[in-house]
Amino acid sequence: MRFVLRRLGFFLLTLWAALTLNFALPRLMPGNPAVAMIAKFKGGVSPQALHTLEVQFGVNTRHSVISQYFSYLKDVATGNFGTSLSEYPASVGHIIMQAIFWTLGLVGLTTVLAFIFGTLIGIVGAWRRGGVLDSVMPPVFVITSVVPYFWLGLVLILIFGVKLHWLPYINSYSYTDTPGFTLSFIWDVIQHAILPAFTLLITTIGTWILTMRNTMITTLADDYVRMARAKGLSSRRIMFDYAARNAILPNLTGFAMSLGFVLGGAILVEYVFNYQGVGFWLLAAVNNDDYPLMQALFLLITVAVLVAILLSDIATAILDPRTRDAG
Amino acid sequence: MRRLIKYGVVLASCGVLAAACSSSSSSSGGKGTSTASGVLTIDNESGGNWTCDFNPFNLSDISFSLGNVYEPLVFVDTLNDAKTTPWLATSYAWSNGNKTLTFTIRNGVKFTNGDPLTAADVVYTFNLLRQNKTLDINAVWSVLSSVSQQGSDQVVMQFKAPAVTYFYYIADQIGIVDSKVWSKISDPVKYPDTNPIGTGPYEVSSTTCTPQNIKYTANPNYWVKGEPKVGTVNYPAFLTNDTANTFLSAGNAQWGSQFIPDISTFLKAQPAIKWWFPPVANVSMFINLKNPLLSNVAVRQAMAYAIDRQKAASIGEFGEEPASNQTGIVTPTFSSWLDSSQAAQFGNNYAYNPKKAISILKNAGFTMGSNGIFAKNGQPLSFTIINNGGFSDWVNAVNVIVADLKAVGIQVTPQDLSQTTYQDKLYAGQFQLGYGSETGGPSPYFELRQWLYSANSAPIGTPAGSNFERYASTATDKLINEYPATTNPATQQQIVDQLEKVMLADVPVIPVTESVDWFQYDTASFSGWPTPGDPYAQPAAYNYPDWGQVMLHLTPAK
Repeated sequence: MRFVLRRLGFFLLTLWAALTLNFALPRLMPGNPAVAMIAKFKGGVSPQALHTLEVQFGVNTRHSVISQYFSYLKDVATGNFGTSLSEYPASVGHIIMQAIFWTLGLVGLTTVLAFIFGTLIGIVGAWRRGGVLDSVMPPVFVITSVVPYFWLGLVLILIFGVKLHWLPYINSYSYTDTPGFTLSFIWDVIQHAILPAFTLLITTIGTWILTMRNTMITTLADDYVRMARAKGLSSRRIMFDYAARNAILPNLTGFAMSLGFVLGGAILVEYVFNYQGVGFWLLAAVNNDDYPLMQALFLLITVAVLVAILLSDIATAILDPRTRDAG
Repeated sequence: MRRLIKYGVVLASCGVLAAACSSSSSSSGGKGTSTASGVLTIDNESGGNWTCDFNPFNLSDISFSLGNVYEPLVFVDTLNDAKTTPWLATSYAWSNGNKTLTFTIRNGVKFTNGDPLTAADVVYTFNLLRQNKTLDINAVWSVLSSVSQQGSDQVVMQFKAPAVTYFYYIADQIGIVDSKVWSKISDPVKYPDTNPIGTGPYEVSSTTCTPQNIKYTANPNYWVKGEPKVGTVNYPAFLTNDTANTFLSAGNAQWGSQFIPDISTFLKAQPAIKWWFPPVANVSMFINLKNPLLSNVAVRQAMAYAIDRQKAASIGEFGEEPASNQTGIVTPTFSSWLDSSQAAQFGNNYAYNPKKAISILKNAGFTMGSNGIFAKNGQPLSFTIINNGGFSDWVNAVNVIVADLKAVGIQVTPQDLSQTTYQDKLYAGQFQLGYGSETGGPSPYFELRQWLYSANSAPIGTPAGSNFERYASTATDKLINEYPATTNPATQQQIVDQLEKVMLADVPVIPVTESVDWFQYDTASFSGWPTPGDPYAQPAAYNYPDWGQVMLHLTPAK
């Protein structure tokens, strides 16, 4: 219990530091949201609009940085992220809520799948070292993991979307559909997710395979594994309960980290596939000097990563009793 | 239209004939009235998902509701000598030395909730902008002094000074709203207007708009009998230019508003899609006049001679944007305004002439150093040019400029900046040379005013409205102020001639290429598109309220 409390205290300290950084960073960036807004219009807006927008957005306001900081902390605590500047007057919360579901679905699910498959392949590969699976899978996926995923996405779009017309390659569902819990709509969403999910999956799975396989090999050489074999336990039991349980720890920490980063979206994949998600909004917010949106998104990512690390620390402590004293 | 895997091929080929194919969509959207049919799909990169807000006084939303949902008083055709077409006003008249403008409001127009449109609604709309300055996007109340009703159907606007040039902003850029609806809104500035009540040919609501698509459906009770003829307009959200271009080339959309590099190759598979890029303004090199070397007019004139505008247009813009000329008059759109004989006196309108550039610099006392760069008093002609690094066409055009200037002994180093940094520096005047464009208007006067009016300038470090190069001349300001006082075409022409002379003699800005409206249109599924022969409106889907006019002109193919 003391371990958990200590972790929790550390978590709060990091959170405060992250919040403060998050407040400072957008303000150190160059740019003026009113200018960005005018420039977005390819025609038709008179120069007088600049001043109007500056007033509207509160650019060069009289509030001091200190008072801005405290009202920021208050807003964060109450979950009020204000109004987006680039999509004025839409609220930041509204924009994020619209996007987050899609990101969680696409990036979250692929992260989980990549972890599960990658770890399994790593376990089995190390167990049957030099076997068919071990000599094919790791090299192939290590190669795909260094392929830039946006490039792979473009290639897949060209082959399966543009040339073969097998799969849709833009949007998260057919744009003419009305979202709803109908079978046809869900089927539509799944189809639209295939190409981006596949892109993410085969470019991230390699890392899991490699780390899992390598730790597994070291673990398999340990005395207690030999002992288990001598006792005549089943292969499956030794593989999963003795070796994999101990070998999985580094992978688990990595998994927690990447789960945290899910909320950041996969910017380039969302960009290439025109997929409505958090990552795209992050990019748009930076391009348009949309501080409130940027802050909320950064905050979301930071908190998600911190929470994920906290949970993985706790999970590690449960799996490996030795870490409880060390922590 | 669901895209099942096995039907993918069929549906993709269907896109070209969307009108014939998409019966499912039109039956749900057409409200079962009149003759409106077919589905028109727009292809325009929006850079984000839709928020489904339609407040016509909000800069983020106006281009999705003005023209098709909300309508203005009079349509002004930028591409056809500012020709006016009555819209919600049947007529208008200037009086009192162009300080009073009277509109007669159309009878028999109804909002989509059934309320009739009255002169009181027009008065209410303008006073709404007066009370909420942030809604007054084009600052019309900087010149207006009052708006009131006269009789049953007239609206009288009084101006502080003659204001002919403001007609475009007042009559064409402001959508009229229902006073009974808007008077109940507590904060119109933050009002998202997700279910807009307008008078226009199309309706939209929170149920027909999703983050990925805005679906406009024909207004069955539109005040023009038999209009609109197109039943549904889909406006999908595209986050990037590439996805939108692919969508168009796959035949999924009929109305494109996209920059497509090497367009004839790209759209080879869609022979029915034509394109037209009418020029509307300039992409120019802004010269910081507060820089001691650049404030020397000889240096600026030499630069204007040294730049091969044709080459910049063909290499940077694939020839899709034509070359500009030094007067700043956009041709052929505003050709009648160009004073060719005057321009001819300035080296044939600063036609490309590197030898002349070198001789100007020599005559001005510059000598070429051993490094091939001209210098005077130990100060070399060496500058940086800021550019939006995100626009690959501009980056290419600036590379042409850099090479051209290098050839006459002027060293220029490009700085391709991120969009935000670039805009910040350009507006604040923190640059030596800058490449950029402005918006223009229904006559060349608007862009010349943006460039040359000292009131649009600001001290270095403060964002300027549009006079980025910081030009200031009392004589020029006087000319600019005289123009709004006259409706006489001859006087207007005379003033613009003199402004052209400022451009030619002082060279405060060097127009390089012309910026255009991007427009691709599918002739197989719809007829009635604007064309060079019939330029009845600016053709891009992002041109408001013009896109409403285009929608009213379109007829689905049988």
